[in-house]
Amino acid sequence: MRILLVEDDTEAAAYLVKGLTESGHSIEHAADGEKGLQLAVANAYDSMIIDRMLPKRDGLSLIEELRRMGNMTPVLILSALDDVDERVTGLKAGGDDYLTKPYQLSELIARLQALTRRAQSGVQGTVLHVGDLTLDLIKHKVTRSGRNVNLQPREFRLLEYLMQHAGQVVTRSMLLENVWDYHFDPQTNVIDVQISRLRSKIDKDFDTPLLHTVRGAGYKLQEVQSVVEAG
Amino acid sequence: MSRVLDPASASVTTDEVGAPARGLVEWTRGAAGSALGRVGRRFGLRRLFRTSAFRIAVIYALLFSTLCASTLGFIYWSTRDQIHSQIGVRLELETKYLTSIYESGAVATLLEVIQQRSQNETADRFYDLERNDDADTLADQDGENLPIRLKSVSSQYTGTMGDVADLAPGDSRRFYPVRVMETELASGLKLTIAYDISDEQALLDHTFVLVVGATLLTLFFSLIGGIVVGLSVLRRIDSVSRTAAEIMSGDLSHRLSVTERDDEFDEIATELNQMLDRIEDLMKSMQQVTNNVAHDLRSPLTRIRNRLEVTLLEERDAENYREVMNEVIGDADSLIHTFNAMLGIARLEAGIDAVEWSDTRIGDVMGELAELYEAVAEEEDGLEFVVDIAANPQYRCNPHLIAQAVTNLLDNAIKYTPRPGRVSLTLEGDEDRFLICVADDGPGIPEHERERVFKRFVRLENERNSPGNGLGLSLVKAVARLHEAQLALEDAEPGLRVMMRFSKRRAVERDRRRQSRLDARAVARTDREAKA
Repeated sequence: MRILLVEDDTEAAAYLVKGLTESGHSIEHAADGEKGLQLAVANAYDSMIIDRMLPKRDGLSLIEELRRMGNMTPVLILSALDDVDERVTGLKAGGDDYLTKPYQLSELIARLQALTRRAQSGVQGTVLHVGDLTLDLIKHKVTRSGRNVNLQPREFRLLEYLMQHAGQVVTRSMLLENVWDYHFDPQTNVIDVQISRLRSKIDKDFDTPLLHTVRGAGYKLQEVQSVVEAG
Repeated sequence: MSRVLDPASASVTTDEVGAPARGLVEWTRGAAGSALGRVGRRFGLRRLFRTSAFRIAVIYALLFSTLCASTLGFIYWSTRDQIHSQIGVRLELETKYLTSIYESGAVATLLEVIQQRSQNETADRFYDLERNDDADTLADQDGENLPIRLKSVSSQYTGTMGDVADLAPGDSRRFYPVRVMETELASGLKLTIAYDISDEQALLDHTFVLVVGATLLTLFFSLIGGIVVGLSVLRRIDSVSRTAAEIMSGDLSHRLSVTERDDEFDEIATELNQMLDRIEDLMKSMQQVTNNVAHDLRSPLTRIRNRLEVTLLEERDAENYREVMNEVIGDADSLIHTFNAMLGIARLEAGIDAVEWSDTRIGDVMGELAELYEAVAEEEDGLEFVVDIAANPQYRCNPHLIAQAVTNLLDNAIKYTPRPGRVSLTLEGDEDRFLICVADDGPGIPEHERERVFKRFVRLENERNSPGNGLGLSLVKAVARLHEAQLALEDAEPGLRVMMRFSKRRAVERDRRRQSRLDARAVARTDREAKA
């Protein structure tokens, strides 16, 4: 993935550049809003990470300018402001996702991948497929190997999200935000329990497991023979 | 032939007074303002003259003085008119009589009567019959050569004796005020009768002096009154300023004095005192946060450091290092979590108006949480989760915060209830008021601790070793406060019951107050932007 990072904190930027490069992405860095805008306009990126507080031109105004110019590259906003309503402001400005500092690198990478996939998938089909698992968005039906799977509405939404991000790491906080609209972190392992229930419905009685746990990060829905991927 | 000597004899209509009077008031106000300013600067009374109380007093003084002057002036003019017309009637009668003598042809009689009347020393009247061609006597005593007019033309005016009579330059009678009636008996023949109106004029002059005096007195006393009122206002304001200065120099415990009078100053003082209470609260809670940051974040930071330091003491293998690093990440994560939670609470407590509100079905929110926690309870033997959602009221709130608060309560309940144990979530009430209740049958909180647990970072003795940062209940309290819900802890016998009571009525008031604050802030912002 070709990524543009606009971040003025040199240490944080160095850390991100290192982390993302070692994850196999190519990353360019701008230290202020104006430089960031120039780079964004001059080159094509798969996604951008933009810090909210920037010298010369702040992050939100940079995103607004890009959107005004018709640039729809997915943007992940980084911010020290973690109010839910600040998040709304960021998304309204044209951002696609919002991550507050301090964050975990695995979280950032997972979200970045989710963004890119969403952008690249283009028109959503009404039926999602992963392996022999299908989910019909219109009819609200889920089948695996032709057999019907009965899901509660919330479970359906959970599976839908996992399937939309098939092959990518999905973190607990991504699930809390997108499936339940909770922007906080319950101490009790509610997500783990929901995943385990879903697993028992879609994986248990079937040959290959599709729903995998990624240690230290989250979960992944994938048709893969080998199971665990780190980070 | 009429002579207009005295413009004041013309009648005054209100239309003519209106516009120039208004202009006069404005000019006076402006002139007085700048004059007062100059005077004030000289005498150090500038502050006094700038008070709104004084300015209002000046305006009232001018108003009342004008009113006084107008009323009394009207009385004066009216009296004058009355006097003149009374005298005028007598003049007319006499003129009529004399004219009739003339018209009957008895000119000699006329002259005789005039002569007679003129010589009457006691009477203050003057008579004159003259021809334009300056002849002293009439040509024909019989009057046959004199043209007779059917109607005579007469006019009245006020003048001085010197105007009508031939008096020597040193004669004091020249300046006696007289009311004159001139009648043209025939072309070239003029009858003049003048009555001395000295007494009446003296009365009028006296009245005029009274009018002016009364007006000036009104003006003077109003101004004195204004100064007195202004001074008393300044005194109240000075006491407020003094207290404010004391507070700004650091002592937040001072409060403005509130008198028994319950007037607008007392109202302001009361509101400001409430504001100061709030500021003191916030300062204290900020100090508390700083203290707690120092105290409670120190332990995990120390732990991290020690862990790393110990690890470096010896050579270890890569696997070992990796393990330590993962542990440190875990510690750092919990630190971050604590830190974020603290910031979130502080922000909630301070920036109440930054939160977004929406109309929400509370039952639906509770239902979603119930689903999640029911699932957790099912996975675990020995944990029973009971849900009773008996109502679904629509309420204006921040659903994220409500969900977070209830989640904290549920997390606590699950954490502190030993297995086998029971946790319950109930929602009951109606559209006007409802109650959210989370209860467990764990060890509960002893009564004397129930206030303390809401403070940040407080954890009870028996919890010291279990995970958590002691911030859960602080957040619940902040959210309850934000929504003006009543929060109560009770003994569930056994266990703890936490109840949040919401009231629509309070919500409506809260929203109204919040909206007026937001409006005021928006106005202030546009003012600042306009000036920038």
